[in-house]
Amino acid sequence: MTQPLLEVQDLHTVFSTKEGWVKAVDGVSFELHPGETLGIVGESGCGKSVTALSIMRLQRPGLIKSGRVMFKGEDLTKATEAEMREVRGREIAMIFQDPMTSLNPVFRTGWQVAEPLRLHHGWNAKKSLTSAINMLGKVGIPSAVDRAEDYPHQFSGGMRQRVMIAMGLTTTPEVLIADEPTTALDVTIQAQILDLLRHVNQEFGTATILITHNLGVVAGMCKRIIVMYAGRIVEAGPTTDVFAHPKHPYTWALLRSIPRLDAERHEPLKPIDGLPPNLVDLPSGCAFHPRCAFKIEKCSRDVPALQRVGDTQLSACWVTQAGTELKGA
Amino acid sequence: MLAKYVARRFLASLVVVLGVTLITLVLMDRTRGTYVPGIDLNPALRPEDIARLRADLGLDRPFYIWYLTWIWGVVHGDFGRSMIDGSTVMSHILDRLPNTLELTGTAILIGIVIAIPVGVIGALRHGSKADHTLTVVSVAGFAVPQFWMGLILILIFSVTLEQHGLPWLPSSGAYSAVNGGDFIDRVEHLILPATVLSFFYMSTWSRFIRSSMLEVLSQDYIRTARAKGMSERRVVYLHGLRNALIPLVTLIGLELPGLVSGGLVVEVVFGWPGIGKLAFERALQYDYTTVMGVTFFATMLVIAGNLLADLLYGVLDPRIRYS
Repeated sequence: MTQPLLEVQDLHTVFSTKEGWVKAVDGVSFELHPGETLGIVGESGCGKSVTALSIMRLQRPGLIKSGRVMFKGEDLTKATEAEMREVRGREIAMIFQDPMTSLNPVFRTGWQVAEPLRLHHGWNAKKSLTSAINMLGKVGIPSAVDRAEDYPHQFSGGMRQRVMIAMGLTTTPEVLIADEPTTALDVTIQAQILDLLRHVNQEFGTATILITHNLGVVAGMCKRIIVMYAGRIVEAGPTTDVFAHPKHPYTWALLRSIPRLDAERHEPLKPIDGLPPNLVDLPSGCAFHPRCAFKIEKCSRDVPALQRVGDTQLSACWVTQAGTELKGA
Repeated sequence: MLAKYVARRFLASLVVVLGVTLITLVLMDRTRGTYVPGIDLNPALRPEDIARLRADLGLDRPFYIWYLTWIWGVVHGDFGRSMIDGSTVMSHILDRLPNTLELTGTAILIGIVIAIPVGVIGALRHGSKADHTLTVVSVAGFAVPQFWMGLILILIFSVTLEQHGLPWLPSSGAYSAVNGGDFIDRVEHLILPATVLSFFYMSTWSRFIRSSMLEVLSQDYIRTARAKGMSERRVVYLHGLRNALIPLVTLIGLELPGLVSGGLVVEVVFGWPGIGKLAFERALQYDYTTVMGVTFFATMLVIAGNLLADLLYGVLDPRIRYS
């Protein structure tokens, strides 16, 4: 196995609220290898975005309480703000969910795409703009020379997301974090953007963390996935294995809630009962146990650790760790 | 497109000019009674002299006839002569205008220069002690009446300092009558009235920038800017402020007529020989022509200020197009 490019170790990020501390990220650990695409899946509020922002140290007003983010032998949680600025946008780039609001409305698109080059490489306006236009062309913006003169509101949503991706890639970062990059887009556009991300991953070898709530997206994009629930990783493993034999009841339930082509025709979709937990007041034991179809007595008492279950997967579940297969119900 | 837009705006504003001047005239005409402007200067006049004076000033005719006559003159660039001293209204305005521009221009400039950092600091540290302090100061700025603040400043910096033999600031006028008029002398006269006026501007605008900046800083593109690895200063003052200042332009545009009349109270308190003071004095004397002239001038500036703000808005915000 190659040396991981990015290693998140036991990360805890908390937010202060009126009702107390919210553990948005509660002991998350994972590795990202050079050139791979890693999927992080979970419902809204499960901590996947905060995990990504914590890597960039942009989690404010949240606070990284403990844990390490090792990137090229350096712990980013200990880096100074000046060192972090060198990492952001240069070695780790990030693109966001809503391309409509993620670009500054008052600056020309080309100027914005070129900005990381001016900041990080100290290039002049002309050189950086030429490079930005080149990149805009590579991400599939037609007549990029002219479009670079346009303002963000003159682009469609899908085109704006391409602009965001171009902006992230100008400095050829080693890691690209895509936080729900297709959620705000039309379905047809979603496919184009995913194609682009796949293409970028192959052409530039950029390791990608793809954050999404959409299992269909990770299925086509990622070799490995991580499933998060209530700030914790509940399951991790190769995508095909996780999809074929989920080792956590939450993953199992998620997979049953989406339509499948190979399902029996009359088989209704089965939503997950109940609501995601309130992060201020988590259930005792396993946070998923109130919604779990397989729960045993121990689940409401002790928190399960993430452990190897089967040959390739990790799961934080008392039931599967004891060897029970998830079936039926 | 743009020229058409400007032309249409100016046509629409004609109605405003007519309305404002007509209302001003009606108010003066209805409250005047039998008073004849300038008559207290010559108390010994006989009744037939007074009747002749009235006829000369056109006051024996109904107000609408007077108004139409006045409008006719304005259309031909003639604002008439003062009913009090007989010199042309235009010469009065041109005489006072530089003083007013000096005072309000300085105040607006100081107001902007202080309001922007104060507003940004308030937004960056909202909820902090510094923010609360600035809030209190700002609220005081538009809660404290300008005439009161002016009098207090005069009391402290002119009266008390002089009594204690300390260097003091002049309390009235734009320059010293004797051996005055050089730069230092004018600046000394400017300090107190400009302080009162700029304090007001600073208060209003800093509150505005604060809330505008707070809103902008929570936008997604600010997060994008941070993720690109730029310094916090660049994030706030380039990507943030550039957006937050857009609505401020309208506010300052609306303040443009203040260049003529906004400092009226301050001009009166500090005896500043500006247009506001002129309008105030002449209104008390029912100098129809002068008051109408100043009103017309101020109205045109309101309209021009609004238009200018709207046009500038389009320059600052690429999303806005005129049609």
